[in-house]
Amino acid sequence: MKLNYKIIFHIFGLLFLFNGGFMLISALTSLIYKDGVVLEMFGAGLIILIIGAVSMLLTKNHKKELNKRDGYIVVAFGWIVMALSGTLPYVMTGAIPSFTDAFFETMSGYTTTGASILNDIESIPKGVLFWRSMTHWIGGMGIIVLAIAILPLLGIGGMQLFAAEAPGPNADKLHPRITDTAKRLWLIYFGYTAAETILLQVAGMTFFDAINHSMCTLSTGGFSTKNASVAYWNGQPVIQYIIILFMFLAGTNFVLSYFAFKGKVQKAIRDEEFKLYFKSIALFTIIASLIIYFKADFSVSSIEHPMVYGKGEASFRHALFQVIAIITTTGFVTANYTLWTPFLVVFFFGLMFIGGSAGSTSGGVKVVRHMIMIKNAFLEFKRALHPNAILPVRYNKKAVTGDIVFNILGFFILYMLSFILGALVFSMFEIDFESAIGLSASSLGNVGPALGDFGPVNNYAALPALGKWWSAFLMLIGRLELFTVLILLTPFFWRNR
Amino acid sequence: MKIIIAGAGEVGFHLAKLLSYESQEITLIDTDKNSLAYASDHLDIRVIKGDVTSIAILNEARINTSELFIAVTSSETTNITACVLAKQLGAQQTVARISNSEFIDQKDEVGFTKFGIDELISPENLAAAEIELLLNQYGFNDTYEFEEGALTMLSLRLSRTASFVGKTVKEAAQVFPELHFVPIAIQRFGTQYTIIPRGDTEFKEGDKVVFITSKGGDDELFELSGRVKTEIKDVMILGGSKIGSKTTNHLCSSKFNVKLIEKDKDIAFELADQLPNALVINGDGRNVELLEEENIKDMDAFISVTGNSETNIMSCLVAKSKGVKKTIALVENMDYYQLSQSIGIDTLINKKLLAANNIFRYIRRGEVVAMTKLSNMNAELLEFKVTSKSKITKKVIKDLNFPLSAIIGGVIRDDIGIIPLGDFQIQVGDKVVVCCLPRSINSIEKLFF
Repeated sequence: MKLNYKIIFHIFGLLFLFNGGFMLISALTSLIYKDGVVLEMFGAGLIILIIGAVSMLLTKNHKKELNKRDGYIVVAFGWIVMALSGTLPYVMTGAIPSFTDAFFETMSGYTTTGASILNDIESIPKGVLFWRSMTHWIGGMGIIVLAIAILPLLGIGGMQLFAAEAPGPNADKLHPRITDTAKRLWLIYFGYTAAETILLQVAGMTFFDAINHSMCTLSTGGFSTKNASVAYWNGQPVIQYIIILFMFLAGTNFVLSYFAFKGKVQKAIRDEEFKLYFKSIALFTIIASLIIYFKADFSVSSIEHPMVYGKGEASFRHALFQVIAIITTTGFVTANYTLWTPFLVVFFFGLMFIGGSAGSTSGGVKVVRHMIMIKNAFLEFKRALHPNAILPVRYNKKAVTGDIVFNILGFFILYMLSFILGALVFSMFEIDFESAIGLSASSLGNVGPALGDFGPVNNYAALPALGKWWSAFLMLIGRLELFTVLILLTPFFWRNR
Repeated sequence: MKIIIAGAGEVGFHLAKLLSYESQEITLIDTDKNSLAYASDHLDIRVIKGDVTSIAILNEARINTSELFIAVTSSETTNITACVLAKQLGAQQTVARISNSEFIDQKDEVGFTKFGIDELISPENLAAAEIELLLNQYGFNDTYEFEEGALTMLSLRLSRTASFVGKTVKEAAQVFPELHFVPIAIQRFGTQYTIIPRGDTEFKEGDKVVFITSKGGDDELFELSGRVKTEIKDVMILGGSKIGSKTTNHLCSSKFNVKLIEKDKDIAFELADQLPNALVINGDGRNVELLEEENIKDMDAFISVTGNSETNIMSCLVAKSKGVKKTIALVENMDYYQLSQSIGIDTLINKKLLAANNIFRYIRRGEVVAMTKLSNMNAELLEFKVTSKSKITKKVIKDLNFPLSAIIGGVIRDDIGIIPLGDFQIQVGDKVVVCCLPRSINSIEKLFF
């Protein structure tokens, strides 16, 4: 099999330049906040920039042709290469001396998972913290391109359905229009981030906290600059409501935002996936609010819960925040949901499998896939009565072809298998059942907080080294919609036939 | 009137036939020698062999002096091109037969009149509309409404239970003193002749009788014909052709439950995509087991509109044998069409005949308000507007020298339908529905103009 190595390395070089550039921005932050690691940060940035530039120069005369196989390699290894290069600031500044930990933290960043191994976040130099949030933000940008332009082309998991401008599921080469689409969506992404930063600052955050949290919200990541995550602002509900709003937006399809800004608000609101996303959040929030209000005792939660506007508002806010944070796979926390009632533990565990909308930065299975699977399941009853009838699943009033439904069913089965295998491997590291399934679901869905020993108030530092690598792997395959990475593990991918 | 018809296919031929009865000056153009020879042997028309989009041919047909140009070849694009050319070369009015119904739906937006096409006729659309009307008037084999239902034409076949079998027209009329309907044409069972009934004509079992009814008359007729009026709700349609999908679309948007059967899997999927309210089934309609599996016996109506006339007739017969109340078959072949109900299917429709009738109606628009040909009967139904010049206003009906092969079915005065008796006086402004055999059209026209 012949891969177009030159263009692959050219693209990797470009990714390095990109990464190096952002590292220099982080280094500037170090300079501004005088956190004492300015030189190390600049050094890391320069090294990555040089590697990138060399790689690009060496592969200057590449053929501008990228076929499907090259596409899979670029996507899967691109993420790995980014994660590897992203460890440099952690390692060089000594903020995270162990390479395993540094790799875990960067992978968690680029996959917008938000699981951390840092025990005392607040003691880390500000430049490094900024870099940590930045990995989320860069990962989010990557995911937008991935979801809107690349995965539909590769025909993965029915993603061709949701792409607004993909040239069609059969296109063999990546389309140049990707750049145009991506730029428009990045602009929205950037705009939302800027807007949230301003709002959070107005609401009382420091500028540094505001910009970091904004980057981590829009990428549905979940790294915080505080040890207590967003629970740090439990006394300032306005801040939490702003984060709720932007987590909600980050979990919607960015293409819909684009339509809305173009004045086609109706088109955005009428989108079936959006409607279901909104309705499920509403439903789950009502359930969780009622249970928190009547059943849960705030004092058992290990986090402080000042009742600024009374118990009713606090129940509602914490329910809404947790529901959105888990569904959009952001993973910010304002409360320890594992300590309230046994029902809520299972409830939030279940939410980890939902995911946000396709075309958002969120991970997980995605609302649209659930919708199509449920619709298809109901149609099966009808099909049993009318074996010869053509009963297509309808999405946004259009019939979905059978192979897309199969794609989605295949994806879901693979997802559940990966989840079970994931939990099984974790249990080999002497991790108890609840923690193991929590870790697996959380890593695979890019959520962040898990259950048991790795719940919302804990972190992943207690994982053994191998467990961290396994978790990082699950994050990667979950982030890249399984097929993209797993296909590289199949023998026929590498065969010439 | 000088009329040029492009295309000597079934639509063209039938149209030429209809028009030639009225001694119009007709020129028929086609490339096929045989169909032209057939037309010129059977009809009193002029034929020209050649391409209808050729300017030389059009000039040869003296397009510049023609009042009407009708393009009814099987090709939509040829028809459109020919009409555009004809208009530019001097034809006063043009009519094009098309198959893409989008053209009709968006006629004004596209502006067909601007580039020279005055009227668009889609046989498929007409057929779909016809089927819908037939279903709404279940129980009757053919229906036609005048002036939005002020008067309705209905036809039905007399079964043994019908209370007026064996009675004369006069006797039957006495059963209902307040007359709401009048028979205007009878076709005896097994014959091809059409009789215009007089007072002493007797109704016989198996007769196909055409009535004109005023409001409420259809219920009385139903009672007399010995049937119970039921609503049609569940409809099975065979064939996802243009007519099939169009009909399904229309029926779904009103009260009907539709099952649509299509043989081709890809087409069936497309149909399922476009028709979310219908149940689309992939399968061959000739497979009786499939029909049974889809509960054909519970269907109220069965409509077969595949491209194959034989399939349509046979599957309708299957449906009839399973007890489906109403069956409609699309038939392309005119010979089958003549057989009609003697083979047991309620209604046969022929889209080409529908198209020809529709164009004919369009042509006669000036003097005749509406006009239809009784399906597979050799009689025509005309609606005249009475003007001050009309001789018919001079006397009451029984004193008019009305031809024996014609009958006044009804009068519409101030939007109200009236069934006139012998002493009825027709006034200026009335609209009169007349049924007549072709040979008396001219003498009827003299009474009105």
